Amino acid sequence: MDIDDLLAEVSAGAIPQQQRDLQELTRAWVAERCAPEILEWPENLMGRVLGRIRKQIELVEEQTGDMDAKTNFKLIIVQTELERFKFLVRSFLRARIKKIDAHPHHLLSLLPTNPRLLSPSEQQYLTAHQSLLSAHYAASFLSQFPAPLQKLDDTTGGVSMIDRPDTQSAVFARALRDCEVWSEGGGEGARVRMRRGDVWVVRWGGVRAAVERGDVELI
Amino acid sequence: MALPLPPGLTPPEVAFLCEMELVSIIPRQRLDSLDLLGGSIPALVPPHKTSVPLWLALLLKRQRRANIVPPPWLAPPWLTAILEYETEHPDTFSPPPRLPPAPGDHSIVFSPPFLPQSTVEAGPDALPYHWLELGEMLLEAATDDFEDGESVRRLLQGLREVRMAKLRKRTETLDEPGGIRMNGIGGMEVAEGRSFITGVVDGLRRIRATYEEKRRERGTEDGAGSPRTVDDYDDDEMETQLTS
Repeated sequence: MDIDDLLAEVSAGAIPQQQRDLQELTRAWVAERCAPEILEWPENLMGRVLGRIRKQIELVEEQTGDMDAKTNFKLIIVQTELERFKFLVRSFLRARIKKIDAHPHHLLSLLPTNPRLLSPSEQQYLTAHQSLLSAHYAASFLSQFPAPLQKLDDTTGGVSMIDRPDTQSAVFARALRDCEVWSEGGGEGARVRMRRGDVWVVRWGGVRAAVERGDVELI
Repeated sequence: MALPLPPGLTPPEVAFLCEMELVSIIPRQRLDSLDLLGGSIPALVPPHKTSVPLWLALLLKRQRRANIVPPPWLAPPWLTAILEYETEHPDTFSPPPRLPPAPGDHSIVFSPPFLPQSTVEAGPDALPYHWLELGEMLLEAATDDFEDGESVRRLLQGLREVRMAKLRKRTETLDEPGGIRMNGIGGMEVAEGRSFITGVVDGLRRIRATYEEKRRERGTEDGAGSPRTVDDYDDDEMETQLTS
């Protein structure tokens, strides 16, 4: 821990980093489960969380031999919590993989401008999976087609082959700080003032920026 | 590998979230403090009340190592008062618990389930975000820690019915200009109403988009600047019928 960490701890009202990370991870998981689009990969947070999980697993393995009843019960608690954390991380990653599978070409087009959108393993998965798929399609039927019809990401003719997430779908959002978001209803859009604690049903596109800033969370 | 679930939390996932709520327990056995991944657990010393996450409280309760102290709002007099409020106000949910002020600009803001809204120090006059799940779980696992569990159960059932009726009634106004405010809604209620509410909002949007598109097309065909003609008026009427 260096001086920056210490200062950060003081400014956060002395709430331990672990607690803040749990809140952040939970929020990221809920957001990823609710938002129609994939959100930016929380690199620092995941680095800290995965590191701690690894250490905790080592601890559990070290102590498993201990047959004392008292340490045994402690170990049950530690393991229960470990499983809960693993569930959170797993569900978070799987929700992201679902979105990667749903809109691969769209994400490939986004990556050059926003390389931090996906984690390195996710990028690898996306590109490897796509090249396997297109090789398979080409081998099984695409090669029989005339050349102009062989594309998988054709956008000519007014109809795009690239599936995009519906950024205007409705989400439940809760304000963490007072802020303004864009809300539409009855065919009209308006700036809506969200007060801390308010819950609104709004279009994802209208709150995305506020969610990224941390002023609003999805529920 | 990919998650086979629809967008939005499912009820079991909401319950999982709810298990992170802090509740108060009275330990019956000593336990040293523990460093867990989500922060450390204070040492348990009988008979001092301590706040721990619900999942740990349930684990200790099942092994008879602790008793759970139900939160103040989960008691018949307060639930009756809230139920009265809910019945008297047919259009809004009862106000959620007051929140601590948001911290400065750069630090993370805590929100349920990480606010102590269900410990013994919590306010008694408001239903927290996870009221239904928390109430049900405590009634199931720790019935003997309630003075009058049966009344609590009955009141929770009453609250649930009144509030579900409101949620259904709100669907009549899903097309209001300016979005839909749902202050005070609970976690399980969001999970139950989500697919219907977002489905209606998205469906209306699509209907309107086609309608707008048609109108624009006709506008260019007519070559007229003002699109409002008798035909459009008819369309408007049809749209109101569709949306009402």
